[in-house]
Amino acid sequence: MAFLDLNSVNTYYGRSHILFDVSLSIEKGEVVSLLGRNGAGKSTTFRSIIGLNPPQSGEVVFKGERISGMRAFRICRKGIGFVPEDRRCFPDLTVLENLEVAIRREKEVASPWTVERIYALFPRLQEREKNLGSQLSGGEQQMLTIARTLMTNPEVLLLDEPSEGLAPLVVALLAEMILKIRKEGVTVLLAEQNLHFCAKVSDRGYVIDKGSVKYEGPMSDLLINEEVKEKYLAV
Amino acid sequence: MDLSFLTVQVLSALRQAAFLFLISSGLTLIFGVLNILNFAHGALYMLGAYFMYWITLYIVGTGGFLLALVLAPLGVALIAAVIETGLLRRIYMQEEIYQLLLTYALVLIIDDLAKIVFGPEFKSIPKPDVLSGSVTLFGGTVPVYTLLVVILAPAVALLLWYLLHRTKTGKVVRATSSDREMADALGINMSALFTLVFAFGAILAGLGGALAGPARTVFPGVGTEVIIESFVVVVIGGLGNLWGALIGSILIGSLETVGIIVFPEFEMSLIYLLMVAVLVVRPWGLFGRPLKVKALSEKNLAMEAQEISPVHFSVHPAVRWAPLLLLLLVPLVTGRFYQYLLSQIFIASLMAVAFNLLLGTTGLLSFGQAAFFGVGAYTVGLLATKAGFGTLPALFLSPVTAAAAAAVIGFFCVRLSGVHFAMLTLAFGQLIFTVAYKWYGFTGGDNGIQGIPVKPISIGGLAGIDIGSNQAMYYFVLLVVGLSVGLIRRIRSSPFGATLKAIRENGQRASYLGVNVKLYQWTVFVIAGAFTGLAGGLYALMEKAISPEIIHWTKSAEPVFMTIIGGIYTFVGPAVGAVVYIVLNSYLVAWTEKWALVLGLVLLTLVLLLPGGVVGFVNEKARQILGKSGCIRRWSFSKSAK
Ligand SMILES: Nc1ncnc2c1ncn2[C@@H]1O[C@H](COP(=O)(O)OP(=O)(O)OP(=O)(O)O)[C@@H](O)[C@H]1O
Ligand SMILES: [Mg+2]
Repeated sequence: MAFLDLNSVNTYYGRSHILFDVSLSIEKGEVVSLLGRNGAGKSTTFRSIIGLNPPQSGEVVFKGERISGMRAFRICRKGIGFVPEDRRCFPDLTVLENLEVAIRREKEVASPWTVERIYALFPRLQEREKNLGSQLSGGEQQMLTIARTLMTNPEVLLLDEPSEGLAPLVVALLAEMILKIRKEGVTVLLAEQNLHFCAKVSDRGYVIDKGSVKYEGPMSDLLINEEVKEKYLAV
Repeated sequence: MDLSFLTVQVLSALRQAAFLFLISSGLTLIFGVLNILNFAHGALYMLGAYFMYWITLYIVGTGGFLLALVLAPLGVALIAAVIETGLLRRIYMQEEIYQLLLTYALVLIIDDLAKIVFGPEFKSIPKPDVLSGSVTLFGGTVPVYTLLVVILAPAVALLLWYLLHRTKTGKVVRATSSDREMADALGINMSALFTLVFAFGAILAGLGGALAGPARTVFPGVGTEVIIESFVVVVIGGLGNLWGALIGSILIGSLETVGIIVFPEFEMSLIYLLMVAVLVVRPWGLFGRPLKVKALSEKNLAMEAQEISPVHFSVHPAVRWAPLLLLLLVPLVTGRFYQYLLSQIFIASLMAVAFNLLLGTTGLLSFGQAAFFGVGAYTVGLLATKAGFGTLPALFLSPVTAAAAAAVIGFFCVRLSGVHFAMLTLAFGQLIFTVAYKWYGFTGGDNGIQGIPVKPISIGGLAGIDIGSNQAMYYFVLLVVGLSVGLIRRIRSSPFGATLKAIRENGQRASYLGVNVKLYQWTVFVIAGAFTGLAGGLYALMEKAISPEIIHWTKSAEPVFMTIIGGIYTFVGPAVGAVVYIVLNSYLVAWTEKWALVLGLVLLTLVLLLPGGVVGFVNEKARQILGKSGCIRRWSFSKSAK
C-alpha cells in the first residue's frame, strides 16, 4: 500500500459522471504529475481527494486510512493540503492574516511551518505582509495560496495548475519552490497542462483524459512518448 | 432651532441607531458567514426582551439590572445554538428559500410560544432608579437610559471590530465569510464555526432586545416590526458588511427621527424610499459586493435530482376535468360557508400560481406580491366606490394597474438577484403599504374601503347578471380564476416559458445564448403582477371591503408558503398549497388560538422532510408505485415539466 491511494474513484457533479474508475498511487516523498487537457478531470480528482466533491464510489486511502467520505476539514487535518487552481486567497484578509488562519497540525509534525520559514521561502510575501489579498498580483496570489496551505503542515500537497497564467520567469521560480518544498519532506501531487514544467520537478506522471487515467509512467518516458502526447496532451 | 432641541433630537436619533445597530450587526454577521437571511432574528430580539423582563422580575430584581443585561442575551444564545444545531444545520445545502422559510416558520413558532409562556399583553420592564432619571445636556433634558444605550452600542461596535480583526477566531470568521469552501479545505470546522457565529449573532439580537425592552415595550410579535427595519439597514449597508450595518443604522435612525418631525404621516415610507433609492444607485448596498453565484457543486444534489426527475405525468382527460365538474356542482349541495371558503381558495390559488411563475419557473423569489394584490384590490375598491365603475370594467382594470405597478417596480428589481431581489421587492411592497396605510384622503388609510358595490354584470346589453349572492360570486370567481390559471399554464409551456426555465437553470448560460435575461425576467414579473392584481380585484369584489393589511409584507409571505407547501417544481403545487393553507388557516383559527404555532410547525416539518412539497412527494411516490407495478409504460412521462 502506498502513501496515498485512489482506488477506482467515480465522481459526479449532480448527474454528470466526471471521473471513471480513477486509480492513483503516490509514494511518500515523490513529486507526481497529473497531466491532462482542459476539462480532463484534474481538478475534480483533487476535489475528490480533499473531500469537496466526495467520490460516489471507490475510495481514497491515506496512510492506510480511508479518508473518502470524511469532510474536507478533517481530511485537511489528516495532512492533505489543497491549493486550488483559481488562486483563492482570502481577499479581505492581509497576507499575514491569510497565513494565520491556516495554522494547523503544529504538534503532529517534527518541524512545523512558521511564518518566518514561509517568508524565507517566499521573500516577496514578507514585503507585502500588510497588503490585502485582493491587492496582490497574480504571481503573488499564487505564492500566497501555496504558502497558506503549507501553514496547515500537510504531508501531501495537491497543487492545481500553479503555473497557469504566470510569466516564464515566475514559473521558473515556482519550479524551484516546489523542489524546496519537496526537500522539506512534503509529497507533492501536481496537476498541470504544462509538460515541460512537470518534467522539471516531478519523477512520475499520470495522464488523464475524459475522466479516466490513460497513461502512467516515469516522466522521462512520457517526454518521448509522442503518441500519448499527441493524443491526450495539447503539445 | 435651538441647541437644546437639537441635542435632544440628535440623541434620540442615536438611540434609535444604537438599537438598530445591535440587531442588524448580528443579522449581517450571520448572513456573512452562514449565507442565511435570518427572519428569526427579530424573534431572538423579542426573546432578549422577555428574558430581561423575566430575569429582572423573578431572579435578580431591578437592582441586578446590569447582570440581567448580560444573562438575557446568553439565554438567547443558548436557544439560538439549539436552533442552529437541531434545525438549520440540516438544510444548509439546500436553496436559499428553504433557509429563509425555516427561519420564518421559527418566527411563527417563537412568537406563539412567547404568547403562551409570557401572555399576550404588553409588558414593560422597570429600570433601576439610577437609570430612570434624566440629565440636562446643553439645555435639553435627556434620559439617563438613552445615554447608556448611546454609549453601549459604540462600545459593542468597537468590541466587534476587535474580535474580528485581532483574534484568531475573528480572522477565521472573516476568511469563511469570503470563501467558505476554501476555509473548509484549510481545516476550519465549518459546523462549529456556524454554531458559534449564529449564537454570537443571537447574543447581539438578545442584547438589543434586553436593552430596548425597558425603553420600549415587549409583546409577542414585536420582532416582526424590528426585523423588517433591520433588513432595511443591512440591505442599505450591504449584506454581510459590518460597517454597512453601522452606517445603515445611523442613516435609518436619523431618518426616522427627522421623519417624525417633518413628515409624521410618512415616516415609514421615507425609510423604504431610502432603501429603494440606495439599491437603485448601488444594487448591492453602500458597502456590499455582488454575491457570488453558487457553484453547482455547492448546491444540494438531491434537490437538483428532484428538479430534473420527471415529476409530471399526463392524466386521462376525464380525470383532469372531473375536479372541475365537481367544483361546478359543489355550490348546489353546500352552504355559504363552503362556497366562501372555496372562493377564498380560488383567489389564493391564482395568487400562488402567478407567484410560482416567478419562483418555480424563473427562479425569482419575490417578497412583494402583496403590493400587486393590493393595487388590484384598491383599483376595484376605488373605482367602484368613488368613480361609479361597473363590476366588469373595474375588475378589468385591476390587472392593468397592477401590471403598471409591476412594470415600474420590476424595472428596478430585475437588476438584482437572489436575496437582494427578494429584499427590494419587499421594500417596494412596504412602500406601497405605508402609503395605503397613511393616505386617508385617497385610500381611506387604515380604515380601508368599506361597502364596495357589486353591480350586476351586463354583457352586450343583455339583462344584468347579479353576482351579489355567495353562490353567484362563487361561480364568477371560479370562472375568472379558471381562465387565468389556464392562461398561466399556457404561458409556462410556451417557448417563452421554456426560456424562463433556462434562465432559472443557468442565467449566465442563457445570456451567452443571446437571451436578454433581464427583459424576460421583467416581462414575467409584469405578467405575474397582472394576475396577482386580478386576484386582488376578485378579492375586493368578494369581500366588499378591503384594508391595507392585504398589502403588508406578511401577506406577501403567503404565496411563498403555499408554493412551498404544495411544491415549487410542479404546476398545481401552489394551488394545492393554497388549499392546505386556507383550510388549515380557517379551521385552526376556529379551533385554537395557536394557529400560528401549528402553521409554523407544519412549515418546519415540510421544509425539513418534504422539500419537494406535497405534490412533489405524491408524484414521486406515484412514480415509484407505478414503476414497480409495471404501469409505467402506459403513462406518458415527460422530462422536466416544471
Ligand atoms: N461545478 C461543475 N458542475 C458540473 N460540471 C463540472 C463542474 N466543474 C467541472 N465540471 C466538468 O467536469 C469536467 C472535468 O472538469 P475539471 O475541472 O476537473 O477539469 P480540469 O482537468 O481541471 O480542467 P482545467 O485544466 O480546465 O482546469 C469538465 O468536463 C467540466 O465541464
Ligand atoms: Mg482544473
